[in-house]
Amino acid sequence: MTEPPLPDNPQPPETPLLEMRKVSKEYRGVAALKTIDFQLRRGEVHAIVGENGAGKSTLVKILSGVVAPSAGEIRLAGERIQIAGPAFARRYGIAMVYQETSLVPSLTVAQNLYLGDEKFYNRLRGTYIEAQQFLQSLNFPVDPTATVQSLGTAKRQMVEIARAVRLNAKVIIFDEPTATLTPEEKHHLFTLIDRLRKEKVSIIFISHALEEALDISDRITVLRDGAHIVTADAKTFSRETLIRHMVGRSLSDELYGRPRDNSRVRPPGDKVLSVQNLSMQNVVRNTSFSIFAGQVTGVFGLVGSGRTETARIIAGVVKRDLFHGGDVRLNGKSVRYRTPRDAVVDGIVYVTEDRKGDGFFETMSVAENVYMGQISSANSHGAVVSMGEMKALAAEWTNKLNIKTLNSDARVIELSGGNQQKVVIAKALVQAPKLIIFDEPTRGVDVGAIAEIHNMIGSLADQGLAVVVISSYLPEILSLSDRILVSRQGRVVEELSPEEATSEAVMFAAVH
Amino acid sequence: MNQLTRAIDSWFGRGEASITIPPMDGAFRPNDHLDLAASNLEAPAPDCLAVTTQGVIVSSDRSLLRVDKPHGAEIASFDMAISALTGLPDGGAAVGLVDGRIVFVGGERGGTTLAKNPDIACITALTPASDGALLVANGSATNGPAAWKRDLMEKNASGSVWRIDRQGRASCLAGDLAYPYGLLEDAGSLVVSESWRCALTRISSSADGRKEPVLENLPAYPSRLSRADDMTIWLALFAPRSQLVEFVLSENGYRARMIREIDADYWVAPCLRSGLTPLEPTQQGGVKQLGVLKPWSPSRSYGLVARLDPAFRPTASLHSRANGRRHGVTSCLMVDKRLFFAAKGDGIVASRTYEGLAS
Repeated sequence: MTEPPLPDNPQPPETPLLEMRKVSKEYRGVAALKTIDFQLRRGEVHAIVGENGAGKSTLVKILSGVVAPSAGEIRLAGERIQIAGPAFARRYGIAMVYQETSLVPSLTVAQNLYLGDEKFYNRLRGTYIEAQQFLQSLNFPVDPTATVQSLGTAKRQMVEIARAVRLNAKVIIFDEPTATLTPEEKHHLFTLIDRLRKEKVSIIFISHALEEALDISDRITVLRDGAHIVTADAKTFSRETLIRHMVGRSLSDELYGRPRDNSRVRPPGDKVLSVQNLSMQNVVRNTSFSIFAGQVTGVFGLVGSGRTETARIIAGVVKRDLFHGGDVRLNGKSVRYRTPRDAVVDGIVYVTEDRKGDGFFETMSVAENVYMGQISSANSHGAVVSMGEMKALAAEWTNKLNIKTLNSDARVIELSGGNQQKVVIAKALVQAPKLIIFDEPTRGVDVGAIAEIHNMIGSLADQGLAVVVISSYLPEILSLSDRILVSRQGRVVEELSPEEATSEAVMFAAVH
Repeated sequence: MNQLTRAIDSWFGRGEASITIPPMDGAFRPNDHLDLAASNLEAPAPDCLAVTTQGVIVSSDRSLLRVDKPHGAEIASFDMAISALTGLPDGGAAVGLVDGRIVFVGGERGGTTLAKNPDIACITALTPASDGALLVANGSATNGPAAWKRDLMEKNASGSVWRIDRQGRASCLAGDLAYPYGLLEDAGSLVVSESWRCALTRISSSADGRKEPVLENLPAYPSRLSRADDMTIWLALFAPRSQLVEFVLSENGYRARMIREIDADYWVAPCLRSGLTPLEPTQQGGVKQLGVLKPWSPSRSYGLVARLDPAFRPTASLHSRANGRRHGVTSCLMVDKRLFFAAKGDGIVASRTYEGLAS
């Protein structure tokens, strides 16, 4: 394949540097981006905001060549281009600075800067001098001889940015650059972005922190459910209008049914779980909340808000901090699980968000997967496997959860997303939980199965179980929950009743 | 093994040794309902509320005051401060004084006094029993009612509950209680609020006085209990728990020195009203908002009243938050669908209708 030529014909000033026209992207029939039009001007900072799943990541992945669009065209300085891979993006001058940097930790800063661009004979001293001069020209206080693993997050980002600038990037994409930065580091980053803007480098800035988007960007684009909602000057937005654009819905409301009927809110039963001052590094920070029997407690939060990690600590999947990591009380008794099985035996079951990775054994049959749940429960007969029991169990749960499969010997991988999820749920329910935590229960699930899963979750609460639903999708939280907890920066920051929980109120709590 | 586990837990600060406090969520979700209540009376340290033939009355230092009268018309006054008060079925009232005497005001026994019993020196709550006797909570065997903070910091559990019959004979129903501060007869047994255990405990009517937990792990220190006509139960909680105080309670050397060397007003301990003097201890803390770390210090005082269902499960609560002016609620009472409460920390008796309030 020949190297794509870089368009260098002079353009009138109004021609956007980078343009996406009617770009769509589908993953196995599910639309992640729907005929998006997007323009990036020369020397502007353009923020892209939206909820989780709005399509921000897909958009920038297309621009950085990680995925190919299903339809539409991309133009650079007016010329149509094909970004067939990350290398092509780099040659076009499009660089991506990831939240988790893509540097090699064991190499030095200088080696990382010139990675993939080494000469036949590399003189390390010369590389260091060159890197030093280059970093100084950018005013980055980074030692080129330091290994990347010894650097803090901000300095790693500086190296990543320096690499982008060294490759003559005309467009730099920042994906959640401030999520792990201290205020001072953030200030440095914003100064740098400002300088790049002055040097006519165009910046795409993705952030959940709306204040940052409003502060630093010239224009803001709002995406929702994979569709372009609005693009306008940052000055024309306020935090409230941005939130309104982000959460206003049409399709999702239809998908998830109408909002909760507030007259049918389930009253709380006994306090089943009390999480007190739970901490795990800087991911879960001194969080406290309670879970009650006979209710669906919805936990909403943006990616990185520590919801999943908190649930995984409760379920014994990961461990809290060794020193003063807080307390988890199940029915008033302090518990600390070394393995998930200990939690299962006590009646706590966690239904993972990553069903393919952690939820089922894809080469095993439906029956075997359901039986695996039984084996790890308190009702297990140890190492004795009863084929009869396995078949009976599979038949019972296939019927109860309406799992659509030819027979219980079918491999789980052959089922649709919704039915796979039902198998994961069956595997959890067979363990007779008292507290069940669903993490993103309908992610990647077909529309028909969503309603079935929601009904099943509601009926579990009706039976008196304590049910927790973690979701990044507001309509799901609003339609299911009898009580809503909002998580931000590693802790539960707000509790709302269904009457108070408007989309705006929940989102406001999640981003402030 | 148990001791080894305890030692390890103590080192790591986990399990029973973890320094944590229960969250104020669910039924304890914060609101401003106490601050929105209409003020009925301002008086020095109003403490205990009761209903008599004269209406709702409150104890304030050495006086009994009517709540429904402007400036609180005085019904009776005593030579000592009042530490507990209860209304009696005959329309009178029983008043516990800080020196241990119990004086009857109005009703059949009006004007009589039960002499001080050396075993009951810290009367914190009174309630009439169904058989005409008087049930008495004795907060501490070693400290008087005014020294409650010292009792907490000494980690005592020397309180007891007594039954005094009409002839004045006292019998102990239960001992080793961690500052019993509220009493309520319930289905033939007695429910006691144990402040330092942050729990409600049922004491059986059997001779052995068996104790069993009713409600544990409260987010604040409980005090008096009362029952409304609709059988719901109202619990006043006089100060919030905080991680700092829990930490100090786990540090024996520090605490002993603090008790020895510092004035009790400035101890790291809960209080009925904080923020009055710069000499008070402040917990340094911070909250991160929009990436900016803002200074923050949790309040040592708070206003909290909880509504419990007949099974003693919290169903709702009314709050006066850190910036509120109804802190240190030591007593509450529902009368004719109106909730009265005495905010001792702020010297206010206030009331509000309860129906229709969201928790």
